[in-house]
Amino acid sequence: MTSSALFRNLRLTIFRNSLHVLRERSLIRVITIVVCSLIVWGMLFGVSYRGFWELQFRTNWQLPLDGKIMEIVFDFMFLVLTFLLVFSTAIILYSSLFGSAESWFLLSAPVPDDHVFAYKFQGAVAFSSWGFILLASPILIAFGLQIDRGAGAPYYFYLALPLFFLGFVLLPGSIGAVITLLLVNIVPKHRKQILALLIVLIVVSMGWLLVQSIQQANQNLFGTREWFENALGEISTVRDRIMPVHWISRGLRAAAIGDVPKMTYNLVLIWSNGLLLYLGAVWVARRLYRRGFNRVATGGTLRRRYGGSWLDHVLDRVLFFLNPQTRLLIVKDFRTFRRDPAQWLQVLIFMGLGFFYFSTMRRFYERDIGRPFQNGISLLTVTATAFLMCAYNGRFIFPLLSLEGRKFWILGLLPLDRERLLWGKFFFSATGSVFLAESLVVFSDLMLLIPWQIILIHAVTVAILALGLSGLSVGLGACMPNFRETDPSKIAVGFGGTLNLIAGLMFLIVVITLMAAPSHYLLATQGMEGLIPWWLWAMHGLGLFVGVLAILLPLRAGVRNLRAMEF
Amino acid sequence: MIELENLTKAYGNTVAVRDLNLRIEAGELFAFLGPNGAGKTTTIKLMCGLLFPTRGTIRIGGFDLRTHGEQARQTISYVPDQPFLYEKLTGREVLQFVADMYRMPQDRSRTRIDEMIELFSLGKFVDDLTERYSHGMRQRTVFAAALLHEPRVLIVDEPTVGLDPRSIRLLKDLLRKESERGVTVFLSTHSLDIAEELADRIGVIANGTLIGCGDLASLGVQAAMDGSLEEVFLKLTEEEVPQEA
Repeated sequence: MTSSALFRNLRLTIFRNSLHVLRERSLIRVITIVVCSLIVWGMLFGVSYRGFWELQFRTNWQLPLDGKIMEIVFDFMFLVLTFLLVFSTAIILYSSLFGSAESWFLLSAPVPDDHVFAYKFQGAVAFSSWGFILLASPILIAFGLQIDRGAGAPYYFYLALPLFFLGFVLLPGSIGAVITLLLVNIVPKHRKQILALLIVLIVVSMGWLLVQSIQQANQNLFGTREWFENALGEISTVRDRIMPVHWISRGLRAAAIGDVPKMTYNLVLIWSNGLLLYLGAVWVARRLYRRGFNRVATGGTLRRRYGGSWLDHVLDRVLFFLNPQTRLLIVKDFRTFRRDPAQWLQVLIFMGLGFFYFSTMRRFYERDIGRPFQNGISLLTVTATAFLMCAYNGRFIFPLLSLEGRKFWILGLLPLDRERLLWGKFFFSATGSVFLAESLVVFSDLMLLIPWQIILIHAVTVAILALGLSGLSVGLGACMPNFRETDPSKIAVGFGGTLNLIAGLMFLIVVITLMAAPSHYLLATQGMEGLIPWWLWAMHGLGLFVGVLAILLPLRAGVRNLRAMEF
Repeated sequence: MIELENLTKAYGNTVAVRDLNLRIEAGELFAFLGPNGAGKTTTIKLMCGLLFPTRGTIRIGGFDLRTHGEQARQTISYVPDQPFLYEKLTGREVLQFVADMYRMPQDRSRTRIDEMIELFSLGKFVDDLTERYSHGMRQRTVFAAALLHEPRVLIVDEPTVGLDPRSIRLLKDLLRKESERGVTVFLSTHSLDIAEELADRIGVIANGTLIGCGDLASLGVQAAMDGSLEEVFLKLTEEEVPQEA
């Protein structure tokens, strides 16, 4: 049996067995994942469908969807998705190639290194691109249905979509893989510095985008010929005929308007280059994977000394109002988090994308889109931030107590009230969530030039959400711990994690309905001038009450469970 | 069968293995002893090609690991101290995967899998997912997988940790039998009684340096004392101090 057949069989067997286990033990989880994915997909499809209609039929736009402008928009969208895929594939591959027990096992067996790499690469690309498909497919299907003033694209446009996707993901995936292999092989002793450099680059890029947005907002150029020419200039490199991002948008546009030769040409271009890059990545892996593995395993000193960081001291000072023992526990959790790049890089990328999205949102504001639509966008940003917070809490906070795992007896034997342990984790979560979410929402509102009253309401809503979601995740994490599992992502997607996700989603829907949505209704119907009506105060009071319940009830249940726990 | 020449491995400034020279013949059961952090596991990882030597060469079954790693690994079976099993595969599927990985013909692999299931008494749980296995069940499955393809070299790191007395007895008999069949067994352990009972030769490593090698009698001569392996081991290792490169 060839290695590729061997790994294909392995993947299929694992998939079949996992499906069987899911069906038997976690049917709720499967249903939740499917329903949530469908909701997200449906929302994106609905917004895109309506958006494409607006672009074609509103009197002041009258934009043909089969024109060059849409091609530019797609260029930009695929550029963003390319960056996302390069980063996520690189991070997943780093953990998978160099940090997993499976790699130790496979590399001690007589399997060629490049075959192990290929197996890991396929897994990483599949894992990182499902989000890409979830995000891009509803937009493109809506585009296909709306093109030609609603007449729709030919049937082969929809058939070609997965072919374009599959070919395209090979390109950023291979680039991410080569970056990982080179980073590990060239700079094993300076990984921290390289990471710091990357972070600086990201921050500088974000800063540049911010300055650009503010300048444009001040000049009020949006929608003018000058703005359009500037925008074209900015992304002209991306639109070059040698750029893969341009191939996919040109190919999809050709498919949508029925230009089969052009569609086929671009599809072949994407696949041939994708496969070539993949072969290049495999070639690099054949030479550098095992070498890199050795360098990662032995790059530093045998017993590395870890010290405190100024970040720990800052956090300790910020939480001065808490009991010293609680502060110690929070700093311990933070230290564990910051020493795992795979964890904090995910947060960084989420945050970066959030800022990127909100800073560019300004460009679509005020001039050419109706007032209700603007108001809706502002509400949508708060909802999107709430979803991000819910995902963050489910992924990083819910597993915290379970991760104490086999060390739990140490905490259990400490002269420390177990209640304090939970409050420590709650404050750790709340501090991070409040800081990240408030920065995102306030930044986005400032970009959108939202009235200060709404900004204030958003800030309060987000604070309630951050505290409530933290209470839910920590409390439910203590009610349903999984001390056997060491992988936080597996704990997050287990039964308890799924239940926590559902509870979080319900909570955020209730809070947004009670607190943010009525203010937007008021803004849409009568503006924010004059006295705030009594019913708005009442709904906010109710939202606050729900928030307090979401903190106290799960935490009390968690404390009860923790006190009764044997170890 | 195993040849280590001037083998040195450094982690940054710390030398984990220093100028190790060792030759282990086919059918020999070699026990590798040493205090914690002496360099035992590093030596094993070097022998499996998982780590590269800073200096020196390793040959397994006549193949240089650097130039003919795949052929060398074809002859080896490695059982680490914390063995890996695919959680979402059954024991039988793990065995089949290993058989395919070592390119065993279908008929032969089927026969050998049945033999291994019989030998390690896996029958009751071999069709359950390994995520449900206890430590002992996992260890037995891992050994079955390691011996499935009839390796010429068996490298075992701390195999008895967490096993009950009956499983330890089974393991000891098995290692002895494999060695009598001509398999070279490289056994790293902290258990001095197992080394004393099973090994043809014992190597003692401390701070990365091989400080003693031979049977119990010759180790006693090297330690300039006459006594049990425990006494000889303690004498040999008592004066070793950490060294920097």
